[in-house]
Formats: sequence, C-alpha cells, structure tokens
Amino acid sequence: MSAKQQTLKRPGLSRPLIVIGSLLVVFVCLFPFWWMALSSVKTLRELYTIPPIWWPEAPTWDNYRKVLFESNIPRYFLNSLVISIGATALALVLAVFASYGFARFNFKGKPLLQSFVLVGQLLPTAAIIVPLFITLRVLGLVNTYWGLILVYMIITLPLSVWMLTSYFKAIPVELEEAAIIDGASRLGCLLRITLPLSLPAIVSVLVYAFVTTWNEFIFALCFATDSSVKTLPIGLAEFSTEFNTDWGAVMAASVVMTLPIALLFLSMQRLFIGGLTAGATKG
Amino acid sequence: MQRQSTGYLFVLPALLLLAMLIAYPVAYTALLSVTDNQGEYVGLENFRRILTARATPIAFWNTLWWVFGSIVFQVVLGVLTAILLNQNFRGRALVRSVTLVPWVVPGIVAATTWAWMLHTEFGIINYMLTAPGVIDEPVGWLTNGSTVMPVMIAINVWKMFPFVAIMVLAGLQSIPNDLYEAARIDGASFWEEVWYVMLPQVRMVIVAVTLLLVIWALNHITIIYAITKGGPANRTLITPIQIFRTAFESVQFNQAAALSVMFFGVAIIVVFVYIKTLASSSGE
Amino acid sequence: MRLKTTALLGAAIVALSAGMAFAGEVTWWTPNFNEARAKTLVEKFQAAHPDITVKLEVTTTDGLPQRVLTALQSGAAPDIVDVQHGWVNGYAQNKLVLPLDDVLKDREDYIPAALQYVTWDNKLWGIPYRIETHAVIFNKGDFTAAGLDPNKPPQTWDELVAAAEKLSVNGKSGFAITGGGEVGNTIFRSLPFMWMVGGGIISDDGKKVLVNTPESVKAVTFYTDFFKKKLSPASTLENDGTANRRLFIAEKVSMYQSGQFDVPSIRKENDKIDVGVMPIPHPEGGKTAAILGGWSLVVPSSAKNPDDAKTLIGFLAESENQAVLTDTFPARISAMKAERFNDPILQVFKEMLPYGRPVPAHPNWVQISQAYFDGIQRILLGDEDVQKAMDGAAAEIEPLL
Repeated sequence: MSAKQQTLKRPGLSRPLIVIGSLLVVFVCLFPFWWMALSSVKTLRELYTIPPIWWPEAPTWDNYRKVLFESNIPRYFLNSLVISIGATALALVLAVFASYGFARFNFKGKPLLQSFVLVGQLLPTAAIIVPLFITLRVLGLVNTYWGLILVYMIITLPLSVWMLTSYFKAIPVELEEAAIIDGASRLGCLLRITLPLSLPAIVSVLVYAFVTTWNEFIFALCFATDSSVKTLPIGLAEFSTEFNTDWGAVMAASVVMTLPIALLFLSMQRLFIGGLTAGATKG
Repeated sequence: MQRQSTGYLFVLPALLLLAMLIAYPVAYTALLSVTDNQGEYVGLENFRRILTARATPIAFWNTLWWVFGSIVFQVVLGVLTAILLNQNFRGRALVRSVTLVPWVVPGIVAATTWAWMLHTEFGIINYMLTAPGVIDEPVGWLTNGSTVMPVMIAINVWKMFPFVAIMVLAGLQSIPNDLYEAARIDGASFWEEVWYVMLPQVRMVIVAVTLLLVIWALNHITIIYAITKGGPANRTLITPIQIFRTAFESVQFNQAAALSVMFFGVAIIVVFVYIKTLASSSGE
Repeated sequence: MRLKTTALLGAAIVALSAGMAFAGEVTWWTPNFNEARAKTLVEKFQAAHPDITVKLEVTTTDGLPQRVLTALQSGAAPDIVDVQHGWVNGYAQNKLVLPLDDVLKDREDYIPAALQYVTWDNKLWGIPYRIETHAVIFNKGDFTAAGLDPNKPPQTWDELVAAAEKLSVNGKSGFAITGGGEVGNTIFRSLPFMWMVGGGIISDDGKKVLVNTPESVKAVTFYTDFFKKKLSPASTLENDGTANRRLFIAEKVSMYQSGQFDVPSIRKENDKIDVGVMPIPHPEGGKTAAILGGWSLVVPSSAKNPDDAKTLIGFLAESENQAVLTDTFPARISAMKAERFNDPILQVFKEMLPYGRPVPAHPNWVQISQAYFDGIQRILLGDEDVQKAMDGAAAEIEPLL
C-alpha cells in the first residue's frame, strides 16, 4: 500500500474542489432516485399532495409487499436475470474477438465492416420491430429467452466492439510481439496478454451490456408476450391499467429493479482500481 | 501487418450474427417505403407525402438541437466527472457507484419520475424554487415553449453523462504512470496534466463514446416519448418520434418506412463522415 | 411486387416448421384490467365447449397499440384481441382483421353508435362489448363553499363559465381542461363542444373540413378560454385525464370531464370529497353531446383458428356475458339491466349514453386529430389566436381527406 501511494502521488484537484464536486455529483444523481424511493413508501394519498410532502407521516411497506408477494415481479426478475446475463456474456465473447480483429489486423474492407457494426443501431426502432418479429418467428424464437438475447445483440454489440477496439489499440503492441517471438499463437496473445490488461474496459462493457438489456422495454414488450419470458420493465408497465397507475408499486418495483445493479457496480469497484496496465508495462 | 484471413476469422462471428438480424429488417423497410398498404408499387409517393407534412421540417430542426445539445453537455460533464472520480479521496468508491444511478434507472421510470418532479402543480422542483422565493410563480417547465426542449435535453444529459464518465474513467485508469511521472518531472500543474496527459490518452475513448452518443440521441426516444410525446405543439418532436407516431399511431407503415429510409440515409452519412475524419486525423 | 406474399411466405414457413396451428385452441389477448372478469367467462365458456381450449394472454395498457399492431402486421397474431373502438377502422382499412358480420346477432339490441364505430366499407370489423361517455365530475363541497347549489349544477355553457369563475378561488381551478398527454384526451373533451354548436373537425362523411368554421371556432374558443381566463390549472398543457383526476383528488380542481371509471379511485383516495356528476353543459337552446368510447373484440386476419375464435366472440357477445366483461357499460341495451349498473352515481353517465357519437371514420383520422390537437396546443401556448390556429389545422387536414 505504501509503495503504491508513493508512485501515485501527483498533483491533484484541491480538497475543497473535490468535496464540492462530489457533493454536487451525488446530489444531482441521487435526488430523483431518492424521490423515487421516498415515493415507494408513501401511501397513495401522500403521493399526490400540493404542496408535495418531503417525508411520509407513516412510511408504508405495503407497496413492497405488493411487488414482492402479490405480483409477477419475482418471476420477471428471474427472466431479466437470465436474459441479461445471457445477452451480456454473448455480447462480450463476440465483441472481444471482433475487437481484437479490428485492433490488431489490417484487412480489406475493415473500415466498411467497422461501420457496419453500427448499422443496426442507426435503424429506427419503429421501423425494425415488425420485421424483427417476423425474423424471430421464422427462427421459432418468439417468447423464448434466446429470442431476446439475440435481439439484444443489435443494441449491445456495437458499443462493446467499439469500446474494446479503442482499448485494445491503446495497449502497446510490443507486449504481444514479444510473446509471438516466444512462440505464442494469436489466440494465446489475446487470452493471455491483451485480455488481462483490458480488465477495466471489459468490466465497463459488462456493466454497460447488462444495464442496457436489464432496462430495455420496447423489444421485450413486443417479443415476449408470455409471462415465462417477460422482463422487469414489462412488469413495471403491468402496474398501469387503463385509467390508473399504481404509482407507489411502480416506484417500489423500480427500486427493486435498480438496487441490484447499483450494488453489482459497487462490488465491481475493486476491478477499476489499481492501474493494472501501468503495473504491467512497468513490470 | 498480419495475414488478412486471421483478421476475418476474429471479426466474422459478430458480423454474421448482426447481418442475420439486420438484413431482413432493412430489406423489409426498403420495400415498404415504395409500396402502399396493399403491397402495390407506388414509386416515391410515400416520400413525397411525408416530406410535405408540416411536422417533418420541425422534427428535423428539433432533432439537430436535441442531438447537439445532448452531446455537448454529456461529454463535457462526463469528462469532468471522470476526472473528479479519478482523484484519490475517501468515499470515492461510493461516489463512483452513486454516479451510475441515473444510468441504471430504467428510462421509462426516469422519464415519469422527472415528469412528476417537473409538474407545474405537484412538482417538487417548483416547490423547492418557490418556497424559498427563488422564483415567484411556478414555472411550467414542460408546458412553456421555450423551456420544454432544454428540459428534455437536461434530462437526457442527466441520464447519460454517467455513462461517459465511467467510460472515460476506465480510460483514465489505464494511463501508464510513467506518463504522469514524466509530466511531474517537467513541473506540470494539475490542469496541464489534464490537458497534456489525460485528454490525449483518452481521446480515442471520447471519440468512440461521442459517436455512440450521437447514435443513441438519434434513436432513443423513451425520455421525450414518455414525457411529452413530442408536444406541446411539436416543440419536442424529433424525427424518430415522428417515425414512431406515423407507424404505430397513424398506422401509416409505408410513410413511416419512407421516413426511416431517409433518416437512416442521413444517419449513415453522418457516421461515415465522422469515421472518415476520425481515420484521417488519428493518423493510424 | 406484393408485400403480403412475403409475409405469407414467412407465416407458411413457420406454420410448417413449428406446427403452430392447434385445432381447437383459441388465444385471446385481453388487457390487464379485464383479466379477472375474462377468466370467469372463459371458465363458463369451456364448460359449454369442452372441445375448444381458450388461452388467455394478458396485455398491458402501456404500449398496447404498438404491440397489437406489431402482431397484426407481422402475421403472427392471436385469435382474438381486445382493442379500442377507434383503432378498428385502421385495422380494417389495412385488412389486418376479419369481417365479423356473421357473428353479430340482435343488431337492434346494440347502441347504434357503437356499431357505427367498427363499421367500414359496409362491413362490421369488430364486436363492441363495452361503451362509455364522459360527463362532468364535480366537488359538491366546493360548490357549497362558493355559494352554488350542488343540486342544481350548471346546464348551459354560460352557467358553466359563471360557476367556474366562482369556484376559481384560493388557488383552486374551477373547470380543468386537458391540453397534454395522448391526443385522444383532448379530442374526447373538446370535440363534443364543437358538435353541440354544429361544428366538428371534419364532416361525418369525411369529405369536408369543419375545424375552422365559425361554429367550430366558437366552440374551441369556449374550450381554450377556460385556460386563458385561468379557470383551468396552470399545468393544463401537460395534463391528461389522469392528471386532472389527480388534481381533483388533491382538491385543486372543482370540475372536470371524465368517465365513471374515475369515481371509485376518487372515493378511495380522498373520501372527504362529496362527488357529484352532471351532464356536459350545452349551449343555450342546444343539446349536449359526447364521444362514445369503449372496446371491441376483433379477429386478426392471420388468426390460426378464426372459426373457434368466432364461437368465443359469439359467446362473449351474449347479453349477460357482456354485462360481466365490460369495465364500464355494455354495448347492448338489454345488458344494461344487470344489477351492477344501478349505482345512483352512474345515473348521469347512463343518461349521457344516447348523446354519445363515434368520432368520424376516416383512414387518416389519427393524423387529422393530431393536426387539430397541435392547433389547440398552439392556442394554449399563446402562439396563435383561435382562428389562425384552426386555419392552420384546416390547411394540414385538407390534403389528408
């Protein structure tokens, strides 16, 4: 620890600036979420008062009871988990290989193919829902986990490929060249040298892909009509009926939906910290 | 550099999967754009009709504002936050996690929560401003023609700047210590270090993230759709929402497809120009 | 070059490879607020038809039009879908649903406006099972406090304005109009006023633009003036029907237009309010009017089992079953006799039904109403005066006819 502090000591922001900046960031980011959490323990009456009340007189856990024990949310939670983990894993594997190809090789049509990766993201959602649905039908994947996992590739792959490509490019080629001289294969280089050095980027991609698929609404709405595959955002929508929204339940479900990801990220902090690349190039 | 074929092997799995998913939607949309709802060929009729709609030029300019305004603030605030989070201080891990919250809150929930917070009557924001006398009268944030688009942009910035921050932070974390040490030996101040060490090193990350932000801003309609549906009086109507409304509210799939084709064309050009400029300026 | 061929080919491949078509199975999509009632009816139906299995799939209200359209357009639809009356025409014109004339029995037992809604090209494309109209819901306590008699609510436009002015005190708004949310919210609340004076957005035959005639302008002025004179809340431009109910429950609004579905939630959330209901006020010497809303059952063209679907719809259309399935009122006159429609608070809503009219059936109705709604918003924003905004709307609507 002490050795690390020595090497890391360098000019930084002044303390007051850090404190003010941090407080500002925390306030801006957390206020709406805090308001949401507060709403989840209010009764229906307290939700709609003018002027708004800051703290409910008698906080109620009713909304959480409703969400956890009387709705389909637990089942949807499981579905979301399976689909998000599946889509994230698939996106990561495909992206690692594609990015490595783009970062370390020159081949004909590379710029074209690189831009092609982005094409899917440029198609307006409204235009592709119907034909995608038909595609999934032909593949027999409507109302299956795989259907949504595949569709989510359109959303998650482009970013994953782009982030990893630029990250791989930033890693000195010399490290790999040394390994190749020692007789390592390209695949070996990727797995043993580049990947371990890219941990921060990989974690970023993981978090990104997971969050994106976890929150996606419109595809899930159209491609998963059976409760065995519906995801959490659809569960949120189910608290709304024609003329009413059970706002307290929506807020409680949102908290249930958001907290696990926030905790997941907190636990991944460790992986960001430590300047892994710096250590490697030095050693 | 290396044998070409190996490169193809690496990139093919991802590309094939994407092609399989995208090919049919692209062909289908193209076909719809030149046919009527009975499937008969009608040439450019759909294009003509959607282009003469009163909302189309409005949506076009709104889209430019929306994309431009969102991106500038997302990138600037995101990079500043990343620099802050890259500092050493107690509680840093907590602040980093908290920063991520706007981004992990489901879009539809963020939109409805903000809409409620901004409501002229029920909204906590007007209450916070009027109670201590910052403003005299409640402001109709979402109903005033001049505030509604800036407010939408602000919500979008709130939602996405954490993403920029985390990506840039990951880039900052990987800058080799030698670079800082070299700068320190030269007696660089902190802001000089930011300018000459950090930013150049994360340039590629920022460039890539910006491109993605452009793409998302062009295609992510949840926030506007859930809050204003493009209103009032088309003040926040952007082209993707117009496409969505034309297809799913007006049941004019053919005109929606025509608009999609044009939108897609413009987006492709923007992206290609961006990549070309990028490729020539990065000198790789 | 026929698009349908492609879609059919896709459907055929699926049918062959997956063996989708199960004889005797009917899939019925019903919205979540209907779930419990639909389940009871399905049980009853299966007892009578053991050879048909009904698979109930519950849909969500949010995003329902998108989801239904995706299914219809892609050729992978269920056998029966619950949809709003207003959507049926668009489906019919795009040949996405099947005609159901052979299913309808006792034509004269239906409220004519409901059938008119789902008729296009002289064919019936859906079976209406639920209808409703708006009335004006008001806070009796506010009336007494303002010196008005809650038992003699305003009947004419002038009386309504006068009452709203008296009620708009102490930060309260007398009469809340809508100017935000889905287009339909504002159409439902403003178009009836146009009808009352002989105006409208377009003529019933869909050939003439009426939105900028003197009559229509008079009605639109009447409607938007509630906001201009600050008798409707400052948030009018962001309020839809739900927001108005919230404001009513928070005792910030004394009168607003809505349907009977609002009454239970008002009572549940604020039992201090003594809820009153009055017919929508009419101009001096005129008659009241309202838009008839509600839900119908349709059979998609790509349904796998249209025959059994029709059997089920025929069953659901029986008078006693309609009385069970509807969330508001049934579309059949005889079904109205059921006990649950005798609640006194429903009386005024029931009286409004004969004045209910369908919105004009026009292929471009959604765009037409959007153009009109944009005009209303321009007036409320203060961008344009009524005549100019409605002229602008007329210019947009003209090429759509």
